[in-house]
Amino acid sequence: MSSYTYTLSPFSQVCRLLMNNYFGEIVGQVGENLLRRGNRSLFDIKTGTGMSLWDVKRALAVLIHHNIVTFQASDRNPNIAEYSLIPHNAYCILRYPKYLYTIKRIYGSSEEVLIEILLNIGQASASDVIFQSANRLNEAIDDVKVLNPSALYQSFQKLAADNFIIRCSKIEKNAFVENVPKLLELKEEEKFIVPQLEMEPIAKLLREKATQLGEHSDSEVIWRVNHQRFDVELRNVILVNAAARRVDAAAGELYHLILKLWREACPVEARTSNGVSHSLIKDAVRKNDGGSPLLMEHFDQYLRVLYEDSTCLISRTGDSGGGQFAVNYADVFENLACAILDSVVLERFGSKALRIFRLTRMQKFIDQDQMQNLAMIPAKDAKMFSYKLMEENYLQIKELKKGTSNVGPVKSFNLFYVDLPQVVRTVLEMSYKSLFNAIARQTHDLTANKLLLEKHAWMENMLERLRGEDTPDDLLADLSESTMTAADKSLVAKIHKLSDNLTLGQSQADETILILESYLKFHFMA
Amino acid sequence: MAGLAAVNIKKEKIDEPRPSVSTVNDDGRSEAEIEARMLELLHQFPKGISNQILDTDMPTVDKQIKVTILNKLMSKEKVSMFKAAGTQELFWCLKSHPTSRIKGADNEERVVLGLIEEAGNKGIWTKDIRIKSSLSQATLNKVLKALEGKKVIKSVSSVSAAKKKVYMLFNLQPDRSITGGSWYSDNEFESELVDLLNHQCYRMLLQKAEVAKQKQNDGPFTVRNSSFLSSKEICQVISDLKIVKFNLTVEDIETILDTLVFEGKVEKSTTSDGNCDGQVKTYRTVEKPVSSASIVRMPCGVCPVMKKCGNVGAIQPKDCNYYGEWDD
Repeated sequence: MSSYTYTLSPFSQVCRLLMNNYFGEIVGQVGENLLRRGNRSLFDIKTGTGMSLWDVKRALAVLIHHNIVTFQASDRNPNIAEYSLIPHNAYCILRYPKYLYTIKRIYGSSEEVLIEILLNIGQASASDVIFQSANRLNEAIDDVKVLNPSALYQSFQKLAADNFIIRCSKIEKNAFVENVPKLLELKEEEKFIVPQLEMEPIAKLLREKATQLGEHSDSEVIWRVNHQRFDVELRNVILVNAAARRVDAAAGELYHLILKLWREACPVEARTSNGVSHSLIKDAVRKNDGGSPLLMEHFDQYLRVLYEDSTCLISRTGDSGGGQFAVNYADVFENLACAILDSVVLERFGSKALRIFRLTRMQKFIDQDQMQNLAMIPAKDAKMFSYKLMEENYLQIKELKKGTSNVGPVKSFNLFYVDLPQVVRTVLEMSYKSLFNAIARQTHDLTANKLLLEKHAWMENMLERLRGEDTPDDLLADLSESTMTAADKSLVAKIHKLSDNLTLGQSQADETILILESYLKFHFMA
Repeated sequence: MAGLAAVNIKKEKIDEPRPSVSTVNDDGRSEAEIEARMLELLHQFPKGISNQILDTDMPTVDKQIKVTILNKLMSKEKVSMFKAAGTQELFWCLKSHPTSRIKGADNEERVVLGLIEEAGNKGIWTKDIRIKSSLSQATLNKVLKALEGKKVIKSVSSVSAAKKKVYMLFNLQPDRSITGGSWYSDNEFESELVDLLNHQCYRMLLQKAEVAKQKQNDGPFTVRNSSFLSSKEICQVISDLKIVKFNLTVEDIETILDTLVFEGKVEKSTTSDGNCDGQVKTYRTVEKPVSSASIVRMPCGVCPVMKKCGNVGAIQPKDCNYYGEWDD
């Protein structure tokens, strides 16, 4: 690894580590170079990384294939392509397990396999994905029966209809006349239309146990995973959980249904959703089979409790059609981001500091005396906490001068306030750093103890096999003792435990990051 | 005196010729009788009486006589005259502690006492007395000591500045801004008491919310509404618990409940109660919309040396002790 890594921001470091772990050292190095330098030509990257041209080309191909790198003709010389990284897409590698889980939750395991294959390849035609998924599923079930791919084709269409997968941009027709091909953005309505496919040839290939698909009709229509749609879905999970926490599970269910309606009414991402009428929501609840009976019975109450809630999960925008309901994502995510900041302040500085932090936020501007009186904290402690919070950038100070005379002392007030976007950015940066640390620690632990872990896995495998052969227990114990010492075993257990914790920690840090990022995104959205 | 805060304090004698003392009125009452009636009225309206009140009470009495009697009362320092801030109307008000009551007071003492009396229960600082009375420091100290010895005035030290002593009349209850309200004893903030009440209130609200949750079958509205407790109810229960020695007011408990609001554990809402006397503040516990920020569950979230951590240097994630001790 290069010696100047510390110059990268925590976010870029996370991207670098993710690429490194997912694609390997070579791709990781090219990715890092692009992260650091921005737009680069092929030869710049070669000189920057000191790798062979062939390696760089291969690495770029992989990254382009996974939609992490794009290219375009250079402004200075249209014959040279410049490559640039899309950091968010690199970051999304972290969310792949969540993507799979989400799809499994919504649809089922065959859709999960489709997405998994697509994520593995990066981009592929529908036939290709279906063929490979069918192969994978056939491996899992017994060999005699062969899976019918038309069910997978339907699943694929479902995924496209719900926008979880999206068509890649086409290469322009005259691309090969020019030196740098141009990518042609598809029209909005074309992006999610799956071409008509014949499943019979694929089924035939599957029966013949072929491993390659070969020529197929839709090889020009390439698909990839739609990160934006997954972001929305993951965000919605957070919102539904929020509704469930604030009221109860049935409210979460209702909110889930309403979110769906909002998405149908306004598929484009906006600060506020379009209004949805009361009757429409009621219809959706009625059609929702297997929902909570409580929800149906007290539908109006649930709706009212939700829109009267202070987290602004639902806001009433009009009275037509029994009431129009919308959501202002900027407000909701402001509340969620505040809740995140609150818990950070609480854990880092304690409940009294939290009191001061929230009081200041509620009052907009507040002076020291008022603060200690309202928060009921002794003057000395109040000062200590507020200065501490200020030192760590959670509070800011605004000085108000009374009078403008040049002579004599000027009376001034120092008012505390919270600059929310700034505090959110601070905590976001902290979250990226925590995430980076967790990944770095995990990678380090697993590579430093690689031999030991491999030995342990080998031993476990062997013991498992022997156990199947009804070997007596004392012999097994002897064997296990002779291959590994107790100290080694406890070390392995410790590493595994920490590694599990770290994996969990990464996914949790990602959730915090998603909330904070969403807040910033909607807050500054026009 | 607090009711007169908005009033221009300005004493002025009305220059009217004094009619002879022995005048008897049309309705046959003597001046002494009218004076007694006036004092009665003054007692009845502690905020002061205006000319209008006098006119309706004794329409037959001549204006001249009323003026005379009022002037007499003022010269006896039993009554003071004020001008209402907006209407410029004159009104009279009983002097609560006529300084003349103190026997054997000399002029200096009287001036100082006047200043202290004017300051009311907010008290007045020695330096301000000195400037206003233009007495020398030595004399003033002597006077103050003498007055304190007579138990006419007392010195109170303020919570905002421990060394700043203020003087006020002996029988006055110091203002909240001086004593800091119920939560101070001997100028010390009772932070343990506040914390205790804070926990107690929270526990009460939690219990109420637990009970409310059992009514889930009646719909979320019922659950929400029955998880509310009004500040009055909480005040009643806490008073009955006898945790505090003094008389706990609803305002006191509301300040405690507000601290819970600032901690984000509780939400405040106002409803009107049945007795049409306005709004009642009610409180209920709320869940945070997100479970505690996930990053604080990692060692990094609460790491004290986060800023010094990096890929190089003494603190690195790969051999961080906090990770080593992390057991969830």
